[in-house]
Amino acid sequence: MKNPPSLDQLIAALKVLPGVGPKSAQRMAFHLLQRDKAGADKLARALDRALLNLRHCERCHTFSETPLCNVCADDKRRQEVLCVVEMPADLLMLEQTRCYDGLYFVLMGRLSPMDGVGPKDIDLERLIARACDGVVAEVIVATNFTAEGEVTAHLIAEMLKAQGLKVTRIARGMPVGGELEYVDPGTLAQAMYERRTLS
Amino acid sequence: MQQSRVDRQPAYVLHTQPYRETSLLVEVLTRDYGRFTLVARGARRPRSDLRGLLLPFQPLQLAWFGKGELRTLHTADWRGGVPQFAGARLVTGFYLNELVLRLAARDDPSPALFKLYDRAVRSLVDHALTATVLRRFELALLEELGYAPALTQDHLAQAIAPQARYLCRFGAAPELTDGEQAPRGAANVSGATLVALAAADFEQPQTRREARLLLRLLLDELLGPEPLASRELLTTLYALSD
Repeated sequence: MKNPPSLDQLIAALKVLPGVGPKSAQRMAFHLLQRDKAGADKLARALDRALLNLRHCERCHTFSETPLCNVCADDKRRQEVLCVVEMPADLLMLEQTRCYDGLYFVLMGRLSPMDGVGPKDIDLERLIARACDGVVAEVIVATNFTAEGEVTAHLIAEMLKAQGLKVTRIARGMPVGGELEYVDPGTLAQAMYERRTLS
Repeated sequence: MQQSRVDRQPAYVLHTQPYRETSLLVEVLTRDYGRFTLVARGARRPRSDLRGLLLPFQPLQLAWFGKGELRTLHTADWRGGVPQFAGARLVTGFYLNELVLRLAARDDPSPALFKLYDRAVRSLVDHALTATVLRRFELALLEELGYAPALTQDHLAQAIAPQARYLCRFGAAPELTDGEQAPRGAANVSGATLVALAAADFEQPQTRREARLLLRLLLDELLGPEPLASRELLTTLYALSD
């Protein structure tokens, strides 16, 4: 027996989500239609609204409903420091730490040579233009400490240094409250390589 | 099925990508089992110990079970001795990984290739001249894959004369030439460079410069039309430092 076309279309549409294959997509579709019609309606509306209203902030490139996101629009924040992160989730995490009151730039990706993602595939020109507005004095590179995040950091640093800006990188080492006995060897080894002078 | 479990195998991670909710697909190069893919279950959980272990350019010791396309990682142990790559060294490392991933066949055990790769990674740490490390690796990789260029005799079976110039093509012996030009699909190199390459001697800057052209020509033949992303990245970085 074949599914009605609209059911097939729903299943196919759900498959665009990462990690969702044909079986999971079918399970989701049946759940939405059979068990939770109200939820399905909410999902459809939310998706519609998000697609209609969300855009990228003109300054930091994160998702926003207004031309400037609320962080960029806040003139109480320090305007001369700019923190570069890979994804909006990283921005939210940094905001939770309450350690930083400057502005952000969200790359919405990273370089990944092994996946064929090169400099042309992420919007670095936009970052350069933002960092060179004459107000920014320091750019803090807070990309992930994965090989991909590190190579992205390197390229950003080279590009911004060529523009005469001060570029810093967030530190790496032992976790806060960490005990040597329980930390993984990779982290401990790198903490040893990157040790600093006590003053 | 005693054989389906492998213990304590020296290995390097070439690439990882997310798999399902919390797992990781890990492309590895091992000493005795060649290159293949492992599933690392739960490796993407926030507090997974594997996060600090399954990193590229780190000498590891792996244990896994299963056969066929997808094997399952059992344990990963740290062998150490190599600081995390950063900056230009990291881009060079990506280039090595891209070459191995594109050119080494899956499940083709080659302890020699593993040794080459291991030596290249460790030489990068020792601050050896990057150009020398790369040319040495490229030449040895071609030899290991069975595409070693002819370096001792020209197409007429005459010994290479150091002061003469030669046209080299993929899969053909060098041909004497009297010009400095190279037609498409050929590299114009000096006899001295060929002699130096045969001895794996990269001391002279001219050897490194000409070897780069020659090896690139030969590798491109094997790589096909799709460009190497790490090479494009290197080009972008070179342009910035000028």
